[in-house]
Amino acid sequence: MMPDMARFVYNSLIVILVFNTAISLYGILARPSLVKKLIALTIFSDSLNSFAILVGYRLCKGFEQPVPPIVTRIPPTQEHISKLIATAVDPLPQALVLTAIVISLAVLAFLAALTLRIYYVSGTTDARSLALMRARAAVEGE
Amino acid sequence: MTGLVALLLCLIMGVISLIATYLAIVERDLLKALLFSAVQSTAYAFIYYSLAAPDIVLVYIPVAVGLYPLLLLIVIKKTERYERP
Amino acid sequence: MSAYRALILVSMVVFALALSYALTYGILRLEVPLTLRDLAKLYISTTFNPLKRELSAMTPEGVTAIVWDYRGTDTFFEIVVFYGAIIGSVALLGAVYRYPPGPGLSLIAKTVTRIVATMILVVGAAIALHGHLTPGGGFQGGATLAVSITIALVTFSLGALMLRGLTYGGMVALRSLGLIGIVLTVFMVVIASLTAGITAYVFQNQPKPGVPIGMAYSVDGIVFSGTVWFLNVLDAIAVAAGFALLFIVLIGGGVEGERE
Repeated sequence: MMPDMARFVYNSLIVILVFNTAISLYGILARPSLVKKLIALTIFSDSLNSFAILVGYRLCKGFEQPVPPIVTRIPPTQEHISKLIATAVDPLPQALVLTAIVISLAVLAFLAALTLRIYYVSGTTDARSLALMRARAAVEGE
Repeated sequence: MTGLVALLLCLIMGVISLIATYLAIVERDLLKALLFSAVQSTAYAFIYYSLAAPDIVLVYIPVAVGLYPLLLLIVIKKTERYERP
Repeated sequence: MSAYRALILVSMVVFALALSYALTYGILRLEVPLTLRDLAKLYISTTFNPLKRELSAMTPEGVTAIVWDYRGTDTFFEIVVFYGAIIGSVALLGAVYRYPPGPGLSLIAKTVTRIVATMILVVGAAIALHGHLTPGGGFQGGATLAVSITIALVTFSLGALMLRGLTYGGMVALRSLGLIGIVLTVFMVVIASLTAGITAYVFQNQPKPGVPIGMAYSVDGIVFSGTVWFLNVLDAIAVAAGFALLFIVLIGGGVEGERE
């Protein structure tokens, strides 16, 4: 009973995250506004990061909630460390996601500056208008 | 047993984030889309908390609820508020 | 709806259904594990273990230990990407040396911001300073400090804060100070080892097998985890100053008259 339920909830969470990824990918590809593309990009990166955290999750014996990977007794004995290994989650995905969130924020800041620059030069943030302007400039150049 | 409760909380927050993501993508008013994206970020912060990742919660709340919306708010204020159909 | 948009919609639906099937019941089947992976066992058993002094990072917080000790070079190049992006933004929008002071928001908003921004500042400093013991660290603390600075920027207006000392040049100086401090901390053990006549590793924190030199991890029973504490504090300063720089440039930069 309990393993089936844990498995069902875990799988539903995976499906929800995949659908979030797909919806935001649609937003990046199909919506015309550049700012809307940026909003979709933040949701896209956050969904993939949540997926990494979900892979690092585990359940303890008896389907108990695990604890964060922090040594709380200083100095610890061998017994404390064995207990932590039996109850803690995987710290590696958390460390990787920590850096990924900061990098995605830096990339978003650069893209926001680029969007502002595009608006100052061309007066629009609509991808179709920009493509039209470029085509017109190419025709005039010939 | 408590682990199952945490996973169920994740599932509820996941459904909220799914609705918020859909609304954020279809909304034409960019300011409202930004608010829906902040709702999605809050739901994700609850998910991270239930998945025993307090480090990620501490970096995610200032970044995704504070700095993302502020950054995009400045961009929307300086450019256009409505997306053309 | 155009044919192009319909094509994207259909391909996204196919992508979502195929990936969810593959991850739940298909070939990439994921299950919630009841035990830890071997690599995670290694990390947790050596993160703070005085019994394995030669292998341990001596940092009670597992995630911060991985970020600044086990995978320090990774984080260093991540910082390089981060500052590259901020330098790119400044190059696109131009530096801001002077900006006219505006009226800002109402008196109520200003009074509330004075209280709340100070509280957020204190919380950010606490997160950064205790990053090696409790959840938190350099990035978390720096991002929280940056939220406080940006709230003040929006409420009091950029010009008023520039008169009080939040200038472009000051933020560049603070950011450079943090970066130089990080590089010096990275090479601290190497420099110390050269005077002793042996060669240590770059990013070394505690003594390792074959290199019996390293930082102390506690003073009078107060654990500070060697280089990790210095790296956390310096990184918080650098991240907060970098974001402040970014928001100064985003609010005040760019020549709006350039539009055709």
